[in-house]
Amino acid sequence: MQALATDDRHWPNEGISRVPGWVYSAPDVFAREQERIFKGRSWCYVCLEAEIPNAGDFRRSYIGGKVVLAVRRKDGGVSVVLNRCAHRGAEFCSAKRGNKQEFVCPYHEWTYDLEGNLIGVPFRRGYQKQGGMPADFKPEENGLVKLEVASRHGVVFASFDHDIESFEDYLGEKMLGYFDRVFDGRKLTILGYERQRIPANWKLMMENIKDPYHASLLHVFLVSFGLFRMDQKSQVQMDPTGRHCVLVNRKGEQSANVATSEMRNFKADFKLNDPRLLDPVREFPGDATVVMQTLWPNLIIQQQSNTLAVRQVVPIDEGHHDLAWTFFGYENDDAAMRQRRLRQANLMGPAGFVSIDDSEAMMISQTGIAASPEKPLLVEMGGREVDDAEHTITEVAIRGFYQHYREVMGY
Amino acid sequence: MDTAILTQPGYELRARIEALYYDYAAVLDDKEFARWPDLFTEDCFYRVTSRENIELGLPLGIILAESRGMLRDRVVALLETSMYVPRRVRHFITNIRIFDPEATGIRVRANFSVHQTLPDQETGMYLSGEYQDRLVEQGGRLLFAEKLCIHDATVVPISLVYPL
Repeated sequence: MQALATDDRHWPNEGISRVPGWVYSAPDVFAREQERIFKGRSWCYVCLEAEIPNAGDFRRSYIGGKVVLAVRRKDGGVSVVLNRCAHRGAEFCSAKRGNKQEFVCPYHEWTYDLEGNLIGVPFRRGYQKQGGMPADFKPEENGLVKLEVASRHGVVFASFDHDIESFEDYLGEKMLGYFDRVFDGRKLTILGYERQRIPANWKLMMENIKDPYHASLLHVFLVSFGLFRMDQKSQVQMDPTGRHCVLVNRKGEQSANVATSEMRNFKADFKLNDPRLLDPVREFPGDATVVMQTLWPNLIIQQQSNTLAVRQVVPIDEGHHDLAWTFFGYENDDAAMRQRRLRQANLMGPAGFVSIDDSEAMMISQTGIAASPEKPLLVEMGGREVDDAEHTITEVAIRGFYQHYREVMGY
Repeated sequence: MDTAILTQPGYELRARIEALYYDYAAVLDDKEFARWPDLFTEDCFYRVTSRENIELGLPLGIILAESRGMLRDRVVALLETSMYVPRRVRHFITNIRIFDPEATGIRVRANFSVHQTLPDQETGMYLSGEYQDRLVEQGGRLLFAEKLCIHDATVVPISLVYPL
C-alpha cells in the first residue's frame, strides 16, 4: 500500500466516541477509502438478480468510483466485470442495461464474452505480414477484470478481493437472519428506480441509517404517525465487527405522552386527508414493523411498513455521493399489495415525506463539518462502547462503523 | 397519443390552457402551495418519475398521488413536517402541444425546465423534462385530471422539495 499522506492524520485520543472532521472532507482519505474499502476485502452491493433475468442481460453498477457490469451468463450464473477495456482502458459499455451475446469495445473492437474473457482482437496477426500483436500475446491473460461474485436470494454482491470470506460469514449469523427476513428466497419484482446526488460525504448516509436517535427528532412525519419512535420497542444490533447493523422498531399509536413532550415537533393531531397513503399490513414474521439494515460498505436495506428498497451508496468525491434506490416487491404480490408499496414509497426517495429530511440534513452536515475539519464530531449517545442496545437513544452503531473503519483504513 | 393530429383549437382554448400552466408555475414559484391542489380534480392522478422508469415501464413515482387529498397531505408535510433548506424554484413551461379533445378530456404535452436557487449559491438548472397531462373542464374551470411529470435526468440534485 502506497503512502497517502497519512502521517499527519491522527484519530482523536478519545477513540471511536469521536470522529475527526477530516474523514469527511480530505481528498487523500477519499482516495484511501477507494483502495482499502471499495477495492478491498468488502462484499459490495451490485444489483438484484431480477434486473438481469435472461442470458446476456446486463446492468451497469458502481463499486466505489469504479463502473462494473453485472452480466447473466449462459449457464444462469452472474458475472461481474470491470467496465474497462483491457486494451486502452475505455469504458466500453455506455448502456445502462441491455442484452448482449458479447461485449465489443467501440474504440478498437476488442471483444469479450459474457464472462469477460478476451475472444477477439482485430488484426491480431497483422495485415499482409505487417503489424499485429507480438506472437507471445496471450488473450487468456488479457481479459476484463473479473470480480468475485456472491448472490444470495436474488441479491448480487461483488468483491475485488478473491480471497474474501463467504458472503454468509461476512454478514455473520445475526445479520444474515435479518437479511433473509426480507430476502427470503421469493422472487423479487422491480417497481422502479430513484437516484439523488447529495452534496455530502458517503459515510454520512451510512451513519444516518445507523442513528436511531435522529429519527425521533428530525422525522416529524414518522414520529407523528408512530412509524418509528424512541418510546416504541426497539433494537440496535450489529455483527461482531460492528460494520453491519440493523435498527428495529415497532409501530405504535399516534398519541402524545411523556416521550413526545421532548419531541418539539410532535403533532398528535396530524390527520391524513387520504388515509390510503398509510395503510400498512403485516407481512413479515415477528412484531417488528420497520427494519433498516446497513451492510458494509455500500448498502442500506429498507423495510418500513410495506415499502421495500435497496439503497446503494455511490461515493462521487469526498463531498458528494449518489443514493441509488431500487424499490421492489415480490413476484407473488397481489395488486393491492403492489399499490400499497407504491403509495408508501412516498415516504422515501428524493421527495420522501421522511427521506427528504435526511438528504437535507446530509447537506448541512457536510458544509458544517468541512468548514472545520480539525474539529471532531461527538458520538457519545448511549455510551462510548460498541454493544447492542434495546433502545434508540444511542449512536452505538456509528461507533461500530468507525471501529471497523479505523481497522480497515489504518487510522 | 404520440401520433395524434394537432387540432387548431383556437385562441380561446389555447389561451385558457396556457393560463392554467402559467398559474401552475406561479403557484410553485411563489410558494403558494396551499393553492396547488386546487388546480387538480378531486380524483386526480399525479406522478413524478424519471424517463428511465417510463422507458422501462416501471410504475414507481418519486411522488405518487391518487387524489386531491393526497396532494393536500403532501402540502401539509411540506409546510409542517419536512425539514429542508429554504430554496426558490422557477418553472419555465414551453412547447405546449394540445391534442384533439376526447371524451375523457384534453391531452396536453409540454416541456418544463426548473431552475433552483439555494441560499448564497448561484442559480442552477435543477430538472428538465416533459409533462404528459389530461385536462378536464369542471365548474367552468380547466383542471388537471392527470399530471405525469417525467424528468430526463436519472439523478435528482439533492432533494425534490417542491412538486414539479
